[in-house]
Amino acid sequence: MSKTIFEKSEKGQHAYSLPKNDEEFKMFLPDDRFIRKTDISLPEISEINLTRHFNEMAKRNMGIDNTFYPLGSCTMKFNPRVNELVASFDGFTKCHPLAPAQSVQGNLEIIHELICLLSEITGFCAGTLLPNAGAQGEFVGIRMIAEYHKKLSHFEKTEIIIPDNAHGTNPATAKMAGYSIVSVRTNELGDIDLDHLKSLVSEKTAGLMLTNPNTLGLFSKVILEISKIIHSHGGLLYYDGANLNAILKFVSIESMGFDVMHINLHKTFSTPHGGGGPGSGPVLCNDKLKSFLPVPRVIMKDGKYTLINDDKDSIGKIASFHGNFGIYLRAYLYIKLHGHYGLYRIAEQAVLNANYLKKRISNLFTIPFPQHCMHEFVVQADNYLDKGIRALDIAKRLLDYGVHAPTVYFPLIIKECLLIEPTESESKVTLDQFVEALENIVQEIKENPEIVRNAPHTKPVTRLDETLAAKNPVLHA
Amino acid sequence: MDFISNQEIQNKEMLKVIGVSDVQELFVDIPEILKLKKPSIDDGMSEYEGIRLMQSLAKKNSYSEFDNYLGAGAYEHHVPAIISSICSKAEFLTAYTPYQPEASQGMLQIIFEFQSAICALTGMDVSNASLYDGASGCAEALLMSLRINKDRNKVLIADNLHPNYKAVIEQYLCNHKTKIEWIPSLADGSLDINKIEELADDQTAALLVQYPNFFGGIDDILPLNQKLKSLSVLTIVSANPMVYGLYKNADELQADIAVGDCQPFGLSLQFGGPYVGYIACKQELLRQLPGRIVGETVDTNGKRGFVLTLQAREQHIRREKATSSICTNQALAALATLIGIVWYGKNGVREIALTNYKRASYLKTNLNKIPGIKSVSQQHFFNEFVVKFDCPIEKVLKIFRENNIEPGLYLKPYFPASNQHLLVAVTETKSLSDLNRYLAIAKGLI
Repeated sequence: MSKTIFEKSEKGQHAYSLPKNDEEFKMFLPDDRFIRKTDISLPEISEINLTRHFNEMAKRNMGIDNTFYPLGSCTMKFNPRVNELVASFDGFTKCHPLAPAQSVQGNLEIIHELICLLSEITGFCAGTLLPNAGAQGEFVGIRMIAEYHKKLSHFEKTEIIIPDNAHGTNPATAKMAGYSIVSVRTNELGDIDLDHLKSLVSEKTAGLMLTNPNTLGLFSKVILEISKIIHSHGGLLYYDGANLNAILKFVSIESMGFDVMHINLHKTFSTPHGGGGPGSGPVLCNDKLKSFLPVPRVIMKDGKYTLINDDKDSIGKIASFHGNFGIYLRAYLYIKLHGHYGLYRIAEQAVLNANYLKKRISNLFTIPFPQHCMHEFVVQADNYLDKGIRALDIAKRLLDYGVHAPTVYFPLIIKECLLIEPTESESKVTLDQFVEALENIVQEIKENPEIVRNAPHTKPVTRLDETLAAKNPVLHA
Repeated sequence: MDFISNQEIQNKEMLKVIGVSDVQELFVDIPEILKLKKPSIDDGMSEYEGIRLMQSLAKKNSYSEFDNYLGAGAYEHHVPAIISSICSKAEFLTAYTPYQPEASQGMLQIIFEFQSAICALTGMDVSNASLYDGASGCAEALLMSLRINKDRNKVLIADNLHPNYKAVIEQYLCNHKTKIEWIPSLADGSLDINKIEELADDQTAALLVQYPNFFGGIDDILPLNQKLKSLSVLTIVSANPMVYGLYKNADELQADIAVGDCQPFGLSLQFGGPYVGYIACKQELLRQLPGRIVGETVDTNGKRGFVLTLQAREQHIRREKATSSICTNQALAALATLIGIVWYGKNGVREIALTNYKRASYLKTNLNKIPGIKSVSQQHFFNEFVVKFDCPIEKVLKIFRENNIEPGLYLKPYFPASNQHLLVAVTETKSLSDLNRYLAIAKGLI
């Protein structure tokens, strides 16, 4: 069993060092009235033990640098280390967020230029980098839609339409922005059910949130009809950029009829996922919505970059300062390294890799949507239920084969779902090894399902009791 | 350049397996009318060229050469070397949210330890895995209090809260039928405690105060929090967690929810982010806490392990009924601050806070000795204070900047009446000679 750092505490030991207090400082003592009286239950630990602790933790984790990580909808592509190198330059790390604009021209230029690049990539005319992650980007986009309708006195617009296969953040965000959620069905082809959509849309429709390609990895053939239906009722279209990787430089988001979107820099533009963040969720929009973008904004005036902190139509602020600036550096360099050509190659290869993998494993599972997929695809692991094997079991057994499992049980509308996204980074041999692992697992299911049902066997722990964790929460050391 | 493994030779083999002759056939679902033209020339860069580009941009930031006295929610502290060495490890940097717990015990245990460290500093019972930043932390805490006190429609917020935090709160609350009442400050920037007692009533869901307040002063909120208990008003304290190394923690202040930004522990200034918000609360409020939470459990062999827990609060399960839409948070930044907190450890967190206090006190006391310069408040403080200059502020800024010093945050853009005032932050990074240089320039001004 791995001890927590709190359990590794040894009395009197420490790692820190501080500059010594000069004589001149010694007389200053804080007022006892305000002093903390309770014990601070932090560990006492030396730097070597601290280092070993976190190295031990690293051994109990896996990342893209270690293994294939086909987590659908997360775009776990290679994270180039050169991005980390440049983000550590003193010229960037030592800048205070409230430093005068004239002393941070480099930073402001990067913000300005990255917005221009992202606008060009998506076909929009303006944007903001401020949202700290995709979900906050959604919140900003929906708030902009809300302010747009408010300005036009569209007070009847109280609903946002969201497909049943959407990411959970879509309905959660629209709700936070004050809207009621209307769910539209997916048809048997994996596309939006247009008749259902027509029956739902009304003067109450403020907008529609859509991921395209959707979470099934399918591009909506009826996207232009969808856009027409929503716009004809005065609604706006929000594009969830979670799956942008599939269509980079292939399609302009704006030309599909969308009015506003977010991008996950940590998906499409390779900034590291970091075990669950920090991400970054820039929002891009068309002319209709640009005056509602949040502040601060960077503008170029007389050859200098300056900040605007107020604008009458702006939805206002969304972040403490300038958002996750360190992430912009990485995404900016990533885009510059690729150029337009390289970005196109990303989409092309991501789609090719996904289709190859789909084809290779199509004899192992139920394939609910046989057509070509985009950058990811779903399979249904329901043909082994009679052996007592579910999608979860297959995912766990994959861990024993040294690869990370795909996303399981999402989208919620697909039974025993595995959502697989290989990304453009991976080589054919890696994909073949993954196929081989799945073939082996299927063989195991036939011969010895127990080994799959009880997997993993090679990880630091076996399956964990999640019910116990929720029933009797132990949340700190 | 790109980072794609497969080349023409592999692609041909793969296309054959798929049964198409051209990769374009895979894009058949995209209406032709929407398709862009394929870029014809490779306009990318080499790695070396990319580094050169970024170096040239970094050089345009003269601020990195400045002696920094800006604080106001982002503080210059030493970042222990161990942090970048651990945070750059592949297993943390390139992992995602621990959806497969058996393969993610490292990150799960780290989040559990982060939660524990936040509880140790704040004195609260439970913490989440992190929020985006301090500002959204305040907003989430208020939303949380409105879910708990769901029949109430008013929140009280200290006007001496960070102005950017105030703006973000308004953003998050603007669709609620909740009235925000701002508690005014007195002339010295301190909170008008009497006003709160006047405004708090049985319709008040929560009170949010900043500790120390935006101007650096420590408001005496303990008696207030005690009184508000009788009205079932939830009290929220937004604090730089470093302050809890020295001063009364959120629990001693009898707060119900503690929020803030962990940046001072282990994250460089980096123009405002990534930083990491924290939120912690009393046990009885746990079910309304937003975001990810890690809990301890056992595996099938009875061995201890960690999992994401209480997920029925979250967007991927509850969709529009979730406590928040947050999904990706600031995990790697939370790891950095965890390392920062335990590097200081039980005794070090007090020592660093005290070092900050002493150095800030030295500068404040000696600035006060200069005729024409006066600190505004007699309130007790931590590492930040406001000084007023009896000479044109443009001149003050100009002369300091000519000496490569940013002397503090000019307050007028935030508080128009504070037109001769600077908010000055001093941390352990300022040596006696740095501070004496500041004083010498200040003396020369008047």
